[in-house]
Amino acid sequence: MENARILGSSSWRIYFRVVLPISRAAIIAGVSLVILEVLNDYGVVSYYGIQTFTTAIFQTWFGMGDLQSAVKLSGTLMVIVLGILVLERIARGRRQFSFTTTKVKLLQPVKLEGPKKWYAFSFCMFIFSIGFIIPVIQLVYWATMTYEQFFSQDFWQLIWNSVSVAFIASTIIVIMAVVISNFARLNRGMLAKTFPKITILGYSIPGAVIAVGVVTLFTALDRQLFGFYEWLGLEPTLLISTSLFMLVFAYVIRYLAVGYNSIESGFDRIGTNFTEASRMLGMSVTKSFFKVDMKLIRGAIFGGFILAFIDIMKELPLTLILRPFNFDTLATKAYQYAVDEMIQQAAIPSIFIILVSGIAIYVFHHVLEKE
Amino acid sequence: MFVHIRNLAFKYPNSKDNTINDFNLTIDQGEIISILGESGSGKSTILRLIAGLEMPTNGNIMVGDHCMCSNSSFTQPEKRGVGMVFQDYALFPHMTVEDNIKFGLQKWSRKDKKNRVGEVLELVNLEDYRKRYPFELSGGQQQRVALARALAPKPKLLLFDEPFSNLDADLQIRIREELRRIIKSTGVTSIFVTHDQDDSQALADRIVVLREGEVAQVGTAQEILGTDCNFADRMPVKPRVLSRV
Ligand SMILES: Nc1ncnc2c1ncn2[C@@H]1O[C@H](COP(=O)(O)OP(=O)(O)O)[C@@H](O)[C@H]1O
Ligand SMILES: [Mg+2]
Repeated sequence: MENARILGSSSWRIYFRVVLPISRAAIIAGVSLVILEVLNDYGVVSYYGIQTFTTAIFQTWFGMGDLQSAVKLSGTLMVIVLGILVLERIARGRRQFSFTTTKVKLLQPVKLEGPKKWYAFSFCMFIFSIGFIIPVIQLVYWATMTYEQFFSQDFWQLIWNSVSVAFIASTIIVIMAVVISNFARLNRGMLAKTFPKITILGYSIPGAVIAVGVVTLFTALDRQLFGFYEWLGLEPTLLISTSLFMLVFAYVIRYLAVGYNSIESGFDRIGTNFTEASRMLGMSVTKSFFKVDMKLIRGAIFGGFILAFIDIMKELPLTLILRPFNFDTLATKAYQYAVDEMIQQAAIPSIFIILVSGIAIYVFHHVLEKE
Repeated sequence: MFVHIRNLAFKYPNSKDNTINDFNLTIDQGEIISILGESGSGKSTILRLIAGLEMPTNGNIMVGDHCMCSNSSFTQPEKRGVGMVFQDYALFPHMTVEDNIKFGLQKWSRKDKKNRVGEVLELVNLEDYRKRYPFELSGGQQQRVALARALAPKPKLLLFDEPFSNLDADLQIRIREELRRIIKSTGVTSIFVTHDQDDSQALADRIVVLREGEVAQVGTAQEILGTDCNFADRMPVKPRVLSRV
């Protein structure tokens, strides 16, 4: 961009001729991310009564008890998702690695003056207001109307449920992400290349589809294990597929990519030099990891944990389907109040989701500052 | 013969041709060898093969009486007793100079560790920098720490990848004399890789000229750079440094 400016193009020309084409990959990635998020969404569309694949899967399964059709719908939705992923690949083309120099210089911010300053400010403020400030004010207002009903034993249980499940799943995610990305970066060959790709796929699959898959898998597993349960002296019931284990399992599949991306970029930053230096000094790969690599990517590991944690805290479709009987999280409670036409009551759990996430982000930045 | 490299061949999975082709070399104990070649000729790759960081497609490497790799066996880098000074030094940024050096001495007793750290720091003239972190050192000092760290576990063979490429020109001249003194005083067999014939000439007992992954010439500096110089006409000639140790 600076080159273009030196060559004397005007700002608009630079924007259309240089900035847009260079950013193409990023823009396309952004668009496909939004599409996938919308396909995944359940809360908003079901509240407004909009028919989507995700709501249809819910209805056929719970409304009509028709798992068969739900599986078929899931299959169709998966084909669409894969189609989008392929299109994204094609659209991005060879631009995936678009920099000829390895060190991309950070752009110098331009200080805006006069009216331009205010245009830019109001535009950003406008988006921020619609997206965050106004809804939060509304929530706080509703919360003041309903807070007495809340601070009970049940409510603390709710927070505990949300936080503990998110904590467990994020921990598993981070450990798996570290192992897989470390393997992928230190090895060559098919396995090392395909493993990460499969890992990331989970994030593109809508929650409802993952839920259908996981339930089918675990019910089958339970049936297989009936004999084993009896042998242990237990009732031959659906043991695993009614446990929290199934929910955590599904969270891990869906949000592994979130932790993985953060940790992989951490590894990318340090490269393999330190690992190699460590091995030349007599440390095995595993020891090198604990003594060198892990210390150097602490920030990335922690960041991956926080991101996964926040995503899981606010997750809805998976939780709704896979939670054990009477197990509620902040998100499912807020959703229930909302569909029961008690939108004011939904405010408190919602605010707590924002609050806990906010604390998590604050802790994250605090830890990074200290490094 | 202390080091024996025979018929070494190697190919990166994503390249078409062999990166290293039938590379042969023998080295005496205590000898300093320089591998001289243009950028991209495969110098770093050869060091990585000797270090065990890459697995050859063919050939074998013996160091002392130990087979490092052959067509049927492969010794992991951490088991080879080979030291390496990396091009960008790769000092662990989260450890002090002292801890960096101790890193390779994990099996030593506490007292031996301490003594050894003192010894190698004295050798590279950095006794006062024990407690510093790598980012608090100049480029030349970092390089000496990297050397001390590689020497500390008493490797049988020491490898240097372009040891001067990150240093200013005048520092480069001073340090290579220093480096030769240190290497010779420890008696460690060494291979260092460079694209600069002055470096080779100032440091090495023998020079191996590498061209496109194959040995083009082997001999003393005199034999290779002194006479017909079919290498020199392919490289931009730098002003020669006359002083030699
Ligand atoms: N990781 C790699 N993957 C594929 N090709 C590589 C890799 N590293 C080096 N090469 C190629 O191998 C050749 C030799 O590289 P290298 O040994 O680094 O050369 P030198 O150190 O002499 O500059 C070059 O053509 C380079 O492009
Ligand atoms: Mg090199």
